[in-house]
Amino acid sequence: MNYPFWDIPNLGSGWVIGIIAIFHVMISQFAVGGGLYLPMAERKALAMPEGQLRTDWLKQLATHSKFFLVLTAVFGTVSGVGIWFAIGLTHPEATSTLIHNFVFGWAIEWVFFIVELTTIAVYYSTWDRIDPKLHLAVGWLYAGASVCTLIIINGILSFMLTPGDTWISVAGTGAEASKFWNAFFNPTYWPSLFLRSCVCASLAGVWALITSSRIDGDKQPELKASLVRWSVKWLVPSFVAMPFLMIWYYMMVPASQQALLTLGIDTINAGTFSAVTRMALVIIVTSATIIGVAYFLAYRSPLDFNLSHALSVLLLALIATGAGEYSREMLRKPYVIGRWMYSNGVRVPYVARINQEGYLAHSNWVWNNSTSSYSRGEAIFRGECGSCHTLNGYRPLKSLLAGRDRANIASFISMLHDPDPDPKNPSPYRRFMPPMVGTKDDINDLANYLNAQVNPPDQKQVLTAQK
Amino acid sequence: MTSKTITKTVYDWVDERLGLSEIEAFARHKQVPVHSQTFWYYWGGISLFLFLVQCFTGVLLLVYYRPGAEAYESVRQITFVMHFGWLIRSAHSWSANLMIFAIMVHMFSVFFMKAYRKPREFGWLSGMALLGIATVFGFSGYLLPMDELSYFATKVGLEIPAAIPWIGPAIANMLRGGPEVSEFTVQRFFALHVVVLPALFLPLLGFHLWLVQRHGNAVPPNEELKPIAERKSMPFLPNFLLKDLAMWLISLNILALLASVFPWSLGKAFDPLAPAPVGIHPEWYFMSPFEMLKLLGNVLPGEAGEIGGILLFTFGIALWVMIPFYDASKESGQRGRAAHYFGLIAVILLLTTTVIGYWTIR
Repeated sequence: MNYPFWDIPNLGSGWVIGIIAIFHVMISQFAVGGGLYLPMAERKALAMPEGQLRTDWLKQLATHSKFFLVLTAVFGTVSGVGIWFAIGLTHPEATSTLIHNFVFGWAIEWVFFIVELTTIAVYYSTWDRIDPKLHLAVGWLYAGASVCTLIIINGILSFMLTPGDTWISVAGTGAEASKFWNAFFNPTYWPSLFLRSCVCASLAGVWALITSSRIDGDKQPELKASLVRWSVKWLVPSFVAMPFLMIWYYMMVPASQQALLTLGIDTINAGTFSAVTRMALVIIVTSATIIGVAYFLAYRSPLDFNLSHALSVLLLALIATGAGEYSREMLRKPYVIGRWMYSNGVRVPYVARINQEGYLAHSNWVWNNSTSSYSRGEAIFRGECGSCHTLNGYRPLKSLLAGRDRANIASFISMLHDPDPDPKNPSPYRRFMPPMVGTKDDINDLANYLNAQVNPPDQKQVLTAQK
Repeated sequence: MTSKTITKTVYDWVDERLGLSEIEAFARHKQVPVHSQTFWYYWGGISLFLFLVQCFTGVLLLVYYRPGAEAYESVRQITFVMHFGWLIRSAHSWSANLMIFAIMVHMFSVFFMKAYRKPREFGWLSGMALLGIATVFGFSGYLLPMDELSYFATKVGLEIPAAIPWIGPAIANMLRGGPEVSEFTVQRFFALHVVVLPALFLPLLGFHLWLVQRHGNAVPPNEELKPIAERKSMPFLPNFLLKDLAMWLISLNILALLASVFPWSLGKAFDPLAPAPVGIHPEWYFMSPFEMLKLLGNVLPGEAGEIGGILLFTFGIALWVMIPFYDASKESGQRGRAAHYFGLIAVILLLTTTVIGYWTIR
């Protein structure tokens, strides 16, 4: 549309965001949870009676804070910037909406980032150098700043799923920013904030198990047992609250999106229809397993808990996080910003106009004077399908459309184009996919292009079918 | 009466009749060796867990599955109509594959730790028989959906027993219930899968587990060299059991992940008149023998190759199964080293032929 298309063959540009985001979320949520873990652990150690255990705890926390600093301030920061690059290239339209709508939100977020980076550097470098009370205060300052980053980013992320009626009523008028707070405290804001807070606390425990598992249990049994057990306790809030929070979150999601979850209960069909359900199952099983493994392996026998056990728990947490972020993205389908912008960047109110004037007339970066139907079809494919599909790799159209001839492909596209589908009996495709927008010629061009991919001209049987 | 006294009364009542406290005392005294290879002790338990998943999901599938002419339709309903039917079916298929994988890891770890030596010969033999039955479970279960792929794969698979001289065709006909794979074959395979094989597997499994309890975990040769005072161990109850349960949880998780992310699909209904789809190949655990026979067929074409291959296999498997009887000595002498190399060659052969097999079907 208004920006060039970023083509990533086989993988698809969405997965570029996905891979960076899953990695980033694992670290950034640790930055929040771990930010609370450090001063709380330090406070606990300082309250201990003078002795070996107290000294060992503080020494171990200094080691953990180094690990924390490197992981969050280096990898967390770099991957965070990576997400900006990736979303800017993959979803420029949506990124533009987020920037324009939340410009002060982002500014506040970045102020807190700077506070975070400064305080964690000070916190790590001043162990044993300044008064312990002041050191602890720096830790609390870091924790406060990192919690604030979560409070802000949560408003923006949850807005994308449920922008809320008030914001929708002004969307496209130029007055969107005036409804900043309505968009920010949207219907899924609170359940999402509590859910993410629980995940942050769990990740603090999971990552702390990595460093505490490396303590030699034979040499420092008391330190290892107490730290491993204390770290496991960080998983308790999730264990207690997660099921209720998930139900709350589910209740706040619009009925059309709830239907995406139930669609996967009785079918696996083409795979994508049931992806949210299947991923939700993974989250439930993996989270339960993390709790079980942490209890059986770490809490019950902390001295035997070694690095490979801790890495298994971390791997499970990575799977749960990945599945969680994937489900959240899938739950938004067919939108990238609920009810306002489809996942291919087409704004909902523009559909009728594009259907009249043609898709390419609104694609500023496409050379649209081509007389070749194939070339026009390719440009439409990139713009309308390329955000979610590739030809051969992820969600490959060549195999998803395999077995269909030219007429069948065209009728499938027409079904996606139908501006007035039967609301009582919608096709499952329409629940997940944006409508195909454009004129009848656009449908024809796209069908020609896809047919040439699915049924290359040298296949005799297809030529026979076309006759 | 408080809940504690009620529990104690019930426990005492059962204990008096079944002797639970004796079992508990046995488990409490039982020790599991701790050394650098303890990790491999969990694989028998993982295999058992996956078998239990098989039983549970298998019974659920049994509720809706209809063998015979309606086989495909019933699996279609399970996959696309019944609530979470797809999940149960996927869990059943994935756990079957994972179970065979876990049994193989268990077998090789037993082999390399030389845990088949006196007095554990029966443990090894019963384990081998269990693996054999598990692969037949897999083969018979594969046909049950009666889709295009399972139909043709079974057709190809049954050509191996048919190649046995003289008696081969009769065996293949008996299994098929006629000259062609048909609804009668499904009926037979179904009976085999849910009645005959479990009837063989369960008592053998009980025997195998009893032997494990009787002889305990074997320690590998390098650990045996250490004086007893230097060897470490942990109590079976609760330490090992807790870790075992954690492994079960991790296995469940991997299973759930595979079943959810890669649900088992269902192909088109079989059509005996249609040409076989491209890339028909056996399940991964039969890929190695399949490829070895194919490679041997290139060297020795015709019937000589088929007979030679079958003889070579029989000999190789017999050599593998009989290992406790020719590598029986406690000391790692020349025979012990030869057995070790035999194991290494078997692993390398298995892996390379499997990779070549998958490479060449592309």
